[in-house]
Amino acid sequence: MKGLRKYLDGLSPHFSEGGKWYRFAPLYEMVDTVFYVPGNTTTRAPHVRDAVDMKRSMFTVILALLPALFFGLFNIGYQVDPGSGIVQNLLAGAVAAGPMILVSYAVGGLWELLFAVIRRHDINEGFLVTGLLLPMTLPPEVPLWMVAAGISFGVVIGKEVTGGTGYNVFNPALVARAFIFFAYPGDMTGDHVWSLADDLTAATPLAVAASVEGGDAVSLVTSAGYTVKDMFFGLIPGSVGGTSTLAALFGATVLIVSRIANWRIMAGGLVGMVGASLLANMLAPASQNTMLSLPPLYHFVMGGFAFGIVFMATDPVSAAQTDRGRWIYGILIGVLCVMIRVLNQAFFEGIMLSILLGNAFAPMIDYFVLRQNIAKRQKAYDRQ
Amino acid sequence: MDVIRLKKGHDLALAGKPEQRLVNAGQPARLKIRPGDFTGIKPKLTVKEGEHVKTGSPLFYSKNCPDMFVTAPGAGRIVNIGLGERRSVEEIVIDLDKTESFEEFERCDERSVASLSSGRIKEQLLLSGLWPVIRQRPFSRVADPDRLPKAVFISAMPTAPFSPDTDFLLYHDATGLQTGLSILKKLAGSPVHLVTAKNSSSAPLLQAKDVVLHHFAGPHPAGNVGIHIHHIAPIRNRDDVVWYVALQDVMRIGRLFLKGKYPVDKIVTVGGESVDQRHYVKIRQGMTIGDILWGNKVGKNARLISGDVLTGVQRSADDPLGFYHETVSAIPESAGREFVGWFRPGLRKYSVTNLFLSRLLNNRGTRVDTGMHGSPRVIIPFGNIESVLPMNILPTFLVKMILAEDIDEMEKLGIYECDPEDFALCSFVDASKMEISEIIREGLEYVEKNG
Repeated sequence: MKGLRKYLDGLSPHFSEGGKWYRFAPLYEMVDTVFYVPGNTTTRAPHVRDAVDMKRSMFTVILALLPALFFGLFNIGYQVDPGSGIVQNLLAGAVAAGPMILVSYAVGGLWELLFAVIRRHDINEGFLVTGLLLPMTLPPEVPLWMVAAGISFGVVIGKEVTGGTGYNVFNPALVARAFIFFAYPGDMTGDHVWSLADDLTAATPLAVAASVEGGDAVSLVTSAGYTVKDMFFGLIPGSVGGTSTLAALFGATVLIVSRIANWRIMAGGLVGMVGASLLANMLAPASQNTMLSLPPLYHFVMGGFAFGIVFMATDPVSAAQTDRGRWIYGILIGVLCVMIRVLNQAFFEGIMLSILLGNAFAPMIDYFVLRQNIAKRQKAYDRQ
Repeated sequence: MDVIRLKKGHDLALAGKPEQRLVNAGQPARLKIRPGDFTGIKPKLTVKEGEHVKTGSPLFYSKNCPDMFVTAPGAGRIVNIGLGERRSVEEIVIDLDKTESFEEFERCDERSVASLSSGRIKEQLLLSGLWPVIRQRPFSRVADPDRLPKAVFISAMPTAPFSPDTDFLLYHDATGLQTGLSILKKLAGSPVHLVTAKNSSSAPLLQAKDVVLHHFAGPHPAGNVGIHIHHIAPIRNRDDVVWYVALQDVMRIGRLFLKGKYPVDKIVTVGGESVDQRHYVKIRQGMTIGDILWGNKVGKNARLISGDVLTGVQRSADDPLGFYHETVSAIPESAGREFVGWFRPGLRKYSVTNLFLSRLLNNRGTRVDTGMHGSPRVIIPFGNIESVLPMNILPTFLVKMILAEDIDEMEKLGIYECDPEDFALCSFVDASKMEISEIIREGLEYVEKNG
């Protein structure tokens, strides 16, 4: 390892101020600090610092995503040929989704680097998450150019134009996902699912549930062959990483224990979803809308709700940033998700849109929480 | 008595905690005084090199307040006056005499203290050079004698790493405590809030008169005076003045009046992985860190800090201990760059977060050095900094408003209640490696200048 350190140290002058590659200093910083913890020491109080840094934090998010990713790879293969073994299924999945992930990282990374060089900021580790999240929310058969176009839009419009990481209003991965969703609606309406087998184009559980007016959602879903168990484990056709509620719960555990994601957002999302769907259930007898009768458990395991609320809504930058705000933001997303699924049946998959709407509302939610905090302080002042 | 229990915060578990064993530092050859320690005093010298001073003789006064002196902490000859940029006075060095001579100040016994007028108290404190132990918030500077506070705060429960244990200090010598408290009460004419730990057993504290007694419990910074002010008498605006005095300095005020001499002694702690003997040392004000550490083995490649590791300043052995500091910390400098540190399980990495294996063992067996352990990044509000700030303040938003230089919002978000030392742990835990407490300091400076 000494050799690598020496090599990097040898390159360092070229990337420092006055060096010939100074413009590409962010690239050097990235490579250098990926291999070695930065060597700088504290210059002022506090003289000691926690071992946590952005790399460790984002790496933990990746760890949390891994169960969903590996299960997703397996599931891609499983959907084509349930009979072959786990290894074959995983391999088939890797062959299908691997290139998507590579393209997402490569194209998005290029944009990231370009902006880092032009705007002279360091490359932020948050991109590691964005680059992985996007392919995981896409169906495995999406053409690679679409992935490239999506991640480009997500990184540039979703993040860099507003100032880069930390300044984005929307979750960049969701912006990318939404871009693909709206730009290529013929390929991605969310009512049909892809899988590797060409002849298999089935309706998603959400589409099935909404397909007949005046019916019973649960029996429609069940008769289409979707059981709660399969949907919970994720053994249904769907996006690369988003089908398994169990894997999402795994990720949720990692994120909550590590406190990288705020549990209030997830809890709020759950509360909002359950509340809204129970309300919908109460209204169901009075309406022809089948979706109204879908119970909370089904909302929970169907579609991308679990994946979205665990991995997407909890992005600390685009979510609300106050504790009370996080509850409101979570509940809002849960309610909106059910509302979109039930009332706006042009889009069966409500979670993506509800999180984006939640992102849009987050600054306003924070604004009011902030005013409340100010008022509370004023009250304490007045009591004196 | 109600206990105010705070949950947020963190007690740094550093190696090298001082043992409760008091030693006397030897008689030093020279003392050093740094005018820079006295925030808010613009020094105007009253002595020249070569002159002789007694203990308690003026060295310089404040340009803004010519009655306010800083005096010599020892008797001897001024051998050097170090000047810095634009001829500002950086350091005054006194070669100590063999026998000490004192300036005489008015003396009184414990009972006659009550008959002292506040004007008389003020005069003696200003003249003797002990006034600067009284500091004020907002802005943490030497108190303005012309502006009485709405309250005085004394923290008798320091929670910063290695700071001296109050019960131990008082067990050794509590003279002057009650006198000092009574004097402060008389001087300020407003409530004196004495804050002790929930489990304090010191009779001199629990039976103290002329004070309002409070109990606090919780991890650091629960013992910081800024936290106490926030929960008891929050600072409403820039003119809402609160005074605060360190407990040992309260006793020094008392001793000044009881003995009529400038009190030179104080007890400090020596702690940290890089020193051999971690203990309590009785020193005199103005001693260099080298003198305090005399006879102690300091590890190679160690950083000496005047003050605690969270708020102190890096100093060399030749520098004096800061006027307000009660701790000498010695910690190892960073030992170079670790290969793929972010990827390791982290059994030996100290962290408040749950991202490393070391958390399972409560950071036992971890080592802390001066490394930053990461690259600076933009704000990503994971909630780390909120988890160590036991105040009704929203630090992420306050930091943003400071960076945006929005005075109006800073004031609304409570900037006047803030002090860099209360945000030191925020800097410590931030995953983006932002200098949060430094930003708070800059924000305070900005509102002071432009508000």
